This record gives sequence, structure tokens and C-alpha cells, in this order.
Amino acid sequence: MEKKILIPIDFRIESLNTLKYALEERRNKKSNIILMYSEYISDSITELLFYDPAKKIKELASSDINDAIAIINNTHESSLHTIKIELFNGLNKNAFLNFYEAHGIDIIYLPRDYRLKPLKNGFDPIPIIKKSKVAYREVTWSNDHSTSSKNELNQLFK
Amino acid sequence: MSSIRKITILLIISISLILFFLGSSVYYFLSNYSYADFYKRLEARVSVAEKRHFESNKRYAQVLKSIREEHLELLSDEKEYILYCPNAASIKQLAETNSLPINLLNVAYAQQSANFQKDDVFYFGKKRETPKGFYFVIVSAKNYYNTHHLILLRKVLVVGGLISILLIIYLTHLFSKRFFDPIDNIISKVNSISTDNIHLRLDDIKNTEEIKRLTTTFNNLLNRIEIAFETNKNFISNASHEFGTPLTAIIGEADVTLLKDRTLEEYKEALQKILKQSERLNKISQSLLFLAQIGYKENKFNYNIIRTDELILQANEIMNQLIPKNNIKIDFELLPENPKKLKVMGNKDLLMLAITNIMTNACKYSSNKPVIVSLASTNNEIVLIIKDQGIGIPESELPFIFDPFFRASNTAAYDGYGIGLPLTQNIIKIHKGELIINSVLHKGVTVLVKLPMATF
Repeated sequence: MEKKILIPIDFRIESLNTLKYALEERRNKKSNIILMYSEYISDSITELLFYDPAKKIKELASSDINDAIAIINNTHESSLHTIKIELFNGLNKNAFLNFYEAHGIDIIYLPRDYRLKPLKNGFDPIPIIKKSKVAYREVTWSNDHSTSSKNELNQLFK
Repeated sequence: MSSIRKITILLIISISLILFFLGSSVYYFLSNYSYADFYKRLEARVSVAEKRHFESNKRYAQVLKSIREEHLELLSDEKEYILYCPNAASIKQLAETNSLPINLLNVAYAQQSANFQKDDVFYFGKKRETPKGFYFVIVSAKNYYNTHHLILLRKVLVVGGLISILLIIYLTHLFSKRFFDPIDNIISKVNSISTDNIHLRLDDIKNTEEIKRLTTTFNNLLNRIEIAFETNKNFISNASHEFGTPLTAIIGEADVTLLKDRTLEEYKEALQKILKQSERLNKISQSLLFLAQIGYKENKFNYNIIRTDELILQANEIMNQLIPKNNIKIDFELLPENPKKLKVMGNKDLLMLAITNIMTNACKYSSNKPVIVSLASTNNEIVLIIKDQGIGIPESELPFIFDPFFRASNTAAYDGYGIGLPLTQNIIKIHKGELIINSVLHKGVTVLVKLPMATF
């Protein structure tokens, strides 16, 4: 059965390791992935007037992160049904629950040791997610590149 | 013709034309208006004269006369005619006796009123019919305004126009000089830069954006030329060093051996040493030749569709033969599920050479510490990552690593002559790929090879 999975990201390649581990765990099960980037929305009226999430995502995503997503996509082509990036602008638990319901999320995967380092105007949504009392799974991966023979994604681009 | 003169002439011609059209239209419309206005004034005088003359009430006529004298100024050469004409046949005689233009009377007779101009005298005439016959009331005057004011206006326009053209000539010359002076400076400065003083740069100019851009462009160009010069110099010194070392060894060995008679064993040993150095020389010159060939033979290689995962496995086998102690680990975790996304268009031998070159370097400079090779593919590129834990490359030397014969300063303990990497770079380049080298000194080097995916 296809499940919708939400993964918070910070547009850094490190944060995609959550995605990699989630997909490995769910090998042979179909998944739809939503990568969620959290950002404070501007309070300037003119900026809101021309606000376009698709354009915003395009601006924020570097070519490296697009490549990394493409690599993961290719690696798990059979189990990965769709993958898309969404912006979350809410500030509290209720806003997140709205987002959760609107997108019909089934599971959330969170990194255990990695702290999201959001870009300008962004914020770390993990505390809000944890407060929302919805089902989430925490994954952990080794940060020590030199000893692990497993290839972390971020090593690709470093 | 210089640009200054061109711009000056163009500006002068266009501005003179504009001034000419402006001046002549002012003159034309003003003179037209002055004629119409003058006839109106004559008409007013005619109607006052008519009223005064044919008014039966004497008092009223007196009032009209005084108004006429007080409020209507006397025009220059103003004449008033009130002529009785018994019938149409006597118009000609009437005109002759009063020396009036006959046309004026004819038109006035036919159309009740008429205006006419003879030389600088203007006429306005009106026909008044009475029971006894009819009268002509005519006022004539010279148009003082026309004759004097318009001439003055003409003079002002002509003189003013000429003065402003002179001013424009001066200003355009001044401005274009101001504009072109920096360019002249740049030209003379650039001309003064030659191979001896290639380090010289143009001064920054602050006021003009375009000129600033020009100088920055020139400076950037000079930077690139200087780097190319530097590379060339490095190449020559490195190449002569690489060729010189084995040659010195050969000459030294031969010299020492020839000093006195030697035993057969000693001769053999000396020749062995000479042979070894000569082989080294041969290897250097061959690889240099190969490097040069790849540069200009770009289109002469056979291209096939190659699977990169197979290529890596084969390269690994070759490495096992070349360096049996190697510690290469192949990581296929990021391998795409679809094998189509692993295919590239390329020459297998060349790509194999490039990959084994990178792998050899990784093993050599890390003294056979683990080397991780992984393969991944994005939507249009295949990414090959070769990561070692070797000595790294000093950051300041990274820009030169693709120069032939260049060897980083920390590589003295390792054998090599600096041709492998430039060769690899050339091979990747002719496959339209990208070779990226990231290094942390003492920690290791990560080599990224990006090759475009084959399209079917």
C-alpha cells in the first residue's frame, strides 16, 4: 500500500540522509515523499502579492541538492512513486496539523542526531512536529565519514 | 574619421536642423498671425468710420469720433476713404482718382467687404448701400509691426541660432573629448603592457559605468593571460626538470664508469642503471606525446555506449594487477535501479585510462589506505566519486594541478612526473564531462567525475 511520507529538510545535502534511510527501511513498499522546508512568511504586502511557492523552492534549491534528490530518486526508482518539495509557513502545532491533514501524511521521518540548519528566514520545524503528537520515526546515521565505509550522501559533494 | 569628429558632426547637423525648423515655424506662424490681426484692426476702424459717417444722430457721431480718437491708436500712414460711387461702371475711375487698387473695389463691390495688400500698405474696404447709390468705406495703413517687429524677430532667430550652433559645437566637442579621453588612456595603457610587464593593470575609473566595465574586462583578460603565461613558464621549467633529472643521472653514471677500467659486473650494473633512466625518459616523452595527441585528435576516437558500473569493475581488476596491495572498495549503494541511467557515450580505453589514473593516484598518495569508489546518476549525468584518505593537495596549489609536469609540493616522497592528471582532465573534457577535485590537506582528496548520460 502506498504511503505518504513527510521529511523535513533544510536544503542541505546532509538532511537528505533522512530520506535515504527512510527509503532503505521501506524498500519494496511504494512511497510518496514530501520534502518539507519551513520558512517564515514575509509580512510585506507587496511580497505576499507576488508570493509563489514554486518559484521560491526553485530559488532555494541549489543544483547540488537537485542532483542529490535525482540520485536518490534513481536509486529507489521502483519503490519511490513521487517526490516533491513543499513549503510550510505555519508557526504552531495547529498549522502543522493542517498541513499534515491537507497532504494526507502517513508517516514522518525525522533525523535523530542531525539538527536542521535552515537558510535565511527558515526555521527548524522538528519541535512543532514533535509537539503535534502525530506518528513519527527518528532515524540515525553515523556522522563520522572517515571510519564508515558506507557512503553518506553529503560526501558526494564534498 | 575619429569618433569625436563623427559624433560632433552628427550632433551639429541634427541640432541645427531642429533649430532651423523651430525658428522657421515660429517665424511663419507669427507672421501669419500678424497679417490676420492687422486686417482685424483695419476692419474695426472701417466699421467705426462707417457708423460715424452714416449716423443721423449728430451727438452719437460725435461720441463715436471721440472714442475713435481716444481708444483706437493711429496706425502708421493711416488713411480713411469714404467714396461715393453712383454705379458699378464708375469703380475704375474712382480707383484711379484716389490711387486705390482696383481689385480691392471690385471684390468689395462683389462681396460686400475685401482686404488687399499692395507692397507694405494694407487695405480693408466695405460696401455700404444707401438709397442714393452706394459708398465704399476704406481704411489703409502700413503694417508697422510686420515691417519692424518681424524683421527683428528674424534677426534674433538667425543670430540666436548661429550662436547656439557655435555653443553646441563647443559643448559636443568638450563632452565627446571628456567621454573619449578615458578610452584613449586605456588604449595607451594597454599598448604599454607587454610580455615584460604583464603584471600591470589598468587603473579603476570611478565615474563612468561603461568605462569601468571596459577596464574590468581588460583587467580580467590580463589576469587570464598572466595565468596562461605563468602556466607556460611552469611547464617549461617543470618539463626541463623532468627531462633533466634522468639525463643527469645517465651522464653521471657514464662519466663515473668511464673514469677507469671496470670489471664486467660493474659495467653491467652501470648499463642497467642507464637503461632504467632511459626507460623513464622514454615513458615521459611517450606520455607527453599522448597528452598532446588527445588534445588535437578529439574527433578521431571511436565512441561506443559504455556501462559505467562494468567500467569500474574492470578498472578495479586492472588496479589489482598494477597495485596488488590496493585497498579499493567499490560502493554500489547509490547505483540507480535503471541500468539505462548508467550508460555513457565514450571511448572505453580512454575512460579506463582516466579512471585507473585517478585510482592509482588515490592509492599511491594514501599509501594504500582505503579508497572508496562510488557511482550514482542524476537525471542527466553519471557521477563517479573516488575518495581517498591520502596526503591531500595544498589549497594554494589546487589551481595548477592540471598543468603538465606540475607536482604538488608535498609529493616529493612519491614517484611520478605530473602527467596523469592533465591527461585524465583532457580525456574527461573530450567526453564533455567535468572533473572536480576537492581536497583537505592531510585528510584526503575526493575526485568527482561527471559524465553526461548517453541519450538513446
